[in-house]
Amino acid sequence: MENKDKPLSFMEQVQAIPGGEAVSVCFSCGTCVSRCLIQQKVEKAYNPRRMMKMVMMDLRESAFDSPTTWLCSSCELCYPACPQEIHISGVINAVKELAIEKGKRSPLKTAEVNTKTCVACGLCVEVCPYKAVHLVEKNIPNRGKNMTIAEVDNEHCMACGLCSSVCRSNSIELTEDCTDENVIDSLRNWLTEQSVKVTA
Amino acid sequence: MVDAARHPKIDVRTYTQVERVEGFVGNFKVQLREKARYVIADRCNGCGDCAKVCPIEVPNRFELDLAPRKAAYVAMSQSVPLLYTIDQEACIHCYKCVEACGALDAIDFSQEDKIVWEDIGAIVVATGFNHFDPSVIPEYGYNQYPNVITAMEMERLNNSAGPTVGNLIRPSDGENPKRLAIINCVGSRDKRFNPWCSNFCCMYAIKNAVLLKQMYPEIELSIYYIDIRTPSKGYEEFYERAREMGIKFIQGRPSLITEDKKSHNLFVHSEDITLGLVTEYEYDMVMLNQAAVPQPDVDSVSSVLNIQQSPGGWFMEYHPKLRPLDTPTDGIFIAGACQGPKDIPASVASGSATASRAGRILHSDEWEIEPIIAQVWEDRCVSADGKKCGICAKACPYNAITVEVGTAAQVTTAKCHGCGGCVAECPHNAITQLHYTDAQILAQIRALLADKPEEKIFAFRCHWCSYGGADMAGTSHFEYSANERGVRVMCSARMDTDFIYEAYRLGAGAVLYSGCHPQDCHYITGQLVGASRAERLQKIFDKMGMSPGRFRIEWISAAEGQKYANVIDEMQQTIDEIGKEKLLAEIESMKPEMEKRARRMYEVPDVTDASDYSDKMKIAMTLEVVDIGK
Repeated sequence: MENKDKPLSFMEQVQAIPGGEAVSVCFSCGTCVSRCLIQQKVEKAYNPRRMMKMVMMDLRESAFDSPTTWLCSSCELCYPACPQEIHISGVINAVKELAIEKGKRSPLKTAEVNTKTCVACGLCVEVCPYKAVHLVEKNIPNRGKNMTIAEVDNEHCMACGLCSSVCRSNSIELTEDCTDENVIDSLRNWLTEQSVKVTA
Repeated sequence: MVDAARHPKIDVRTYTQVERVEGFVGNFKVQLREKARYVIADRCNGCGDCAKVCPIEVPNRFELDLAPRKAAYVAMSQSVPLLYTIDQEACIHCYKCVEACGALDAIDFSQEDKIVWEDIGAIVVATGFNHFDPSVIPEYGYNQYPNVITAMEMERLNNSAGPTVGNLIRPSDGENPKRLAIINCVGSRDKRFNPWCSNFCCMYAIKNAVLLKQMYPEIELSIYYIDIRTPSKGYEEFYERAREMGIKFIQGRPSLITEDKKSHNLFVHSEDITLGLVTEYEYDMVMLNQAAVPQPDVDSVSSVLNIQQSPGGWFMEYHPKLRPLDTPTDGIFIAGACQGPKDIPASVASGSATASRAGRILHSDEWEIEPIIAQVWEDRCVSADGKKCGICAKACPYNAITVEVGTAAQVTTAKCHGCGGCVAECPHNAITQLHYTDAQILAQIRALLADKPEEKIFAFRCHWCSYGGADMAGTSHFEYSANERGVRVMCSARMDTDFIYEAYRLGAGAVLYSGCHPQDCHYITGQLVGASRAERLQKIFDKMGMSPGRFRIEWISAAEGQKYANVIDEMQQTIDEIGKEKLLAEIESMKPEMEKRARRMYEVPDVTDASDYSDKMKIAMTLEVVDIGK
């Protein structure tokens, strides 16, 4: 008989979260990896196949520290290609939930709200594909008490920048490299380069 | 094939369809449709003059449409017997073939399909398999990119009798490919299409690679695979030889093939798992190793022969380990890949084995069957009184019962396999099953529920599956409630409503109605008969206000010992939760209704004199010797 008091293994915990059920049938064919744009364009160490294996082999800490846990954008390119019909992003998100529960934080530089200018129109909340932006009531220094304002949930933000592109008051922006000014600058530089090439 | 065709005792009928099969082992009557060839078989000598003059060209299916054929054609040059056929759909009736045939006068456009009946002793089904069509996988680009070909197309391109006389060329420009990729598991091991492993494709990929490497030593060959499976004798050595020859094996299932529009070269995107790198290599040509799938007409074949299919559409064997070539219908055997994907040695072995299985029938005058069969008590059958009934015939998975109004239902003993479905279904108790008579089963129920019945969980188990499951639970030492008592019958179809009413009448705490999973049933559709009855019972008990969980229906396979133990434990829990007093009150209140419903109870004597019950029924219990002829 099964021992009901035994703590759940890492795999059982993942399987208990909706989306993570099918992880155990992965036979490591690598289709997901060669489909994945994040692996090919962003981060070489990103590998959904290894994530499946880490879950199966109970490698909890390695899984939490792996970039795969944090970088999946749930674009679902891999899901229709998987011969075992595993909802791969579902598994990765299940691992991410467990990692957040354990106090791990996303290494991504996420979007930030400028509390001084946000008018709480809610456009960003509507467009966010990860449901990472919410309207909350907050005390804002120099602006008033119980102001309704947008707030970014750092664990779930994938730094796609959609919120920033729809914001009417330029109040939500990606930090560091991807601020509006940086993007415009690099675009201008690239265009200048192209024109130089054409003239040359 | 030629030897077989020349053998005096082998009659080869090609272009002939089996349309009906009647009768039983040793005495089959088979209706054949000999399709019109528009060529007289006795006169045609296969010279091919008709094809030479025929002006019509259509795609050649044998060459996978890589070459044309004429409207007057043979399927392939090695056809046995070598008889030409006129394709009426393509023919324009110019009659040049008639002229060319001349004095032989073998062409006859007035021919029609001929229906013939044959007496057959045993039937071997060897209808083979079909190939998966990879064009339904969009990422591999078959049918979009000219240089993506299937394994069968490779087979023709690589064949010295094929359309290119054995010269392997790229369909896009006719050049010999310098770099070739072979992709395994196209459509197999893929839950979106076929979950099974197609068995022979690994070896097939290696064979093709080795052949090509021998013919074109300069060619670069890569085989993409998920796992390489080389389990038979000499196979692993062959795999080793392929690696020694410099064929590259890349572990990884390609996710995408793209094409360079100008050169029609192909890029295969795949992760190389052993390296942990995503690779994108360029090839001149890609061969897709398609899955083996059942023939498209398996449904009509299985309905004509009354044989079952396993999940996926392969013909089902009687027992996967012990009787892999027999079907549940005696005298019908399955050989080769129609039973499941098989390579050539396994197909030849199963072919030889079925021939000897069939020979046993043809060489014996008598045929032994299991003694557990159904017998009709003729005085009781209402059909004899001129009433319409036929419920027994509907329940029989083997079409073994014939019902004609005016005479009692008749069981063809040789066809009966003893599931007992008819026995339980008969509303007039006019059929009994030898060795599982009502008296015997009721005697067991009464004996097992003689003492403290309200504490008991009474299980009805089928011989093949749930009884095996209970056995497995026992031999594996899984602990479950000691209050379980049970009887074994051959099939869930035999679990008569009266048995269940009787168990409740005697005061059983709970009753388990268990049997095989529907696809595992050893009596074709026996489980379905049992399952629909169980659902009917469930509704009746719900209406009577029985506490939920006291009647439970579970399908348990012989391997599911754990499930059996869990089910019994859960039922014990249900009884405990209801509580003894409430349970006793419920049993008492339902007793009159159960008594009313358990009709057989009045006809069957008590345990003590159950042994002579059969005699009292005055049924002829002697088995007839069935003459199966030769």
